[in-house]
Amino acid sequence: MLEVKNLMVFFENALALNDLSIEVNRGEIVSTLGSNSAGKTTLMNTISGLIIDMQVKEDRRGGERITLMGEVWFEGEEILFSKPSTRIRRGIALSRERHPIFPESDIEENLRISTYLRKDSEVKSSFDFVYSIFPPLQMLKKRKAGFCSGGEQQMLSIGMALMTRPKLLLLDEPLLGLSPAMQTSLIQAIKQIRKEGITVLVAEQFARPLLPIVDRGYVIENGMLTLQGTGQELRENPEVRSTFMGV
Amino acid sequence: MEILIYGITNSVTLALMAIGFSLTFGISGLANFAHGAFYLLGGILTWIFLNQLGVPYLFSALISILLVGLLGFLLYWGLMLRLRGLAINEVIATLAAAIVIIEVLRWLGFSGFTYVLPEFIKGSVKIGNVWLDYQRIFLVGIGVALIIFFYLFTHRTKVGLSFRAIAQNERTAISLGIDSDWTAALSLAFGSALAVVAGLAILPLGSIDTEVGYDILIYALAVGIVGGLESIPGIVLASFILGFCQIAVATFFRAQWQTVVTLGAIVIILAVKPSGIFGKYKELEERV
Repeated sequence: MLEVKNLMVFFENALALNDLSIEVNRGEIVSTLGSNSAGKTTLMNTISGLIIDMQVKEDRRGGERITLMGEVWFEGEEILFSKPSTRIRRGIALSRERHPIFPESDIEENLRISTYLRKDSEVKSSFDFVYSIFPPLQMLKKRKAGFCSGGEQQMLSIGMALMTRPKLLLLDEPLLGLSPAMQTSLIQAIKQIRKEGITVLVAEQFARPLLPIVDRGYVIENGMLTLQGTGQELRENPEVRSTFMGV
Repeated sequence: MEILIYGITNSVTLALMAIGFSLTFGISGLANFAHGAFYLLGGILTWIFLNQLGVPYLFSALISILLVGLLGFLLYWGLMLRLRGLAINEVIATLAAAIVIIEVLRWLGFSGFTYVLPEFIKGSVKIGNVWLDYQRIFLVGIGVALIIFFYLFTHRTKVGLSFRAIAQNERTAISLGIDSDWTAALSLAFGSALAVVAGLAILPLGSIDTEVGYDILIYALAVGIVGGLESIPGIVLASFILGFCQIAVATFFRAQWQTVVTLGAIVIILAVKPSGIFGKYKELEERV
């Protein structure tokens, strides 16, 4: 479904991703593990196309030069240089890290804004879908998003990505800063999302709660792929255990 | 009584002047210092269509609104695109555009008693012991209607929601498929068009003078700063505070002091609560 081949990303002369190749098959939950500044977010931004927008804007004002090399294929099409909106129409949605939502709008409005590219007739079914996965959002729908807890905001952020009805959902550090209980319920939600037929690529550094539901995973260090394997293999790998599971 | 009635009309006038500026700044973070110039340009365009080309009033007004809206759109694509997020450059660029527009109009001589826009309905009515012309009543109606429209537009329509999305978190909005450039250009277009609507309601009260191009900007800024730039209740409240203060000062002291009130309010608010009565302080990075 998604294939990233020999991807290299430079910010000016700094190499953020170095010859990275990953693959995500339909129906899988795939994880990229890495510590801070390993390149997880850059990879997510490259797949979602956000980096193209950053590139254009930096270029326009004479800021940082962002260089992309390599290939990103989605459902048989090369998308490395297409705009974020094009990719959302194709079915790629990103929930960004640290749940950046629209704080002054209530939850319902946040979700409504997320249907920007969808037809009016499809909006209601999107709402039903998201509320079925995250029932708390329906109960809190009139609350200002800025007043919600971190866990609620994270649900909202994923819900907003789901409002676009993606085929491939990208989650950038969804467990960051959440309580263990909240992490467990989010993991359940991710499982349910996969059951609904959505492929999930999740970038994380908390491997312990995540790895049990992951089909395959990649470990990224300093922008390079250092390890890959099934969820089971990664869980048993001593390096992964010491770095990402605190054993 | 006099203070009450003129206070209300004056307040609504201020709100009308400010609403377009506030839309563009508060909603998509662009400081459009050409607001007053667009207000003036809209009035003069309508006058030209009406008196030189013989177009009926309604069409003249509509064409002017559309033309100035288009100009706002082009101002974004031609000038603002590269400056987005660099607040001081935005201000300098739009102020430069404003000065060009206003001074060219002044050079062409569009100032003085010949240049009068028609009132919607002539005549006046006596309320209590105060004579009030129909135009001012209309003006209050248009002001209230615009504020309601403004609220509904930004809360109910897809485009309006996308404006607010860009204002709150641009990158998240982009990751949801909203085109930030298109949205910002549209908001500048809408803001400019609203400046013309305000102009068409307010200008018939006197003759057109190119100076208003600068005055309107100062009033819009004052209302925006006092009320908080992104808040609709703030605009309304600030308009009423400033509107009544101006009238009170004009009644009890002298009319010249009105401007002092406006500028004094800016200074006081900036000293006491820089984000305005209802405003929230925003980090520059959040906007970019």
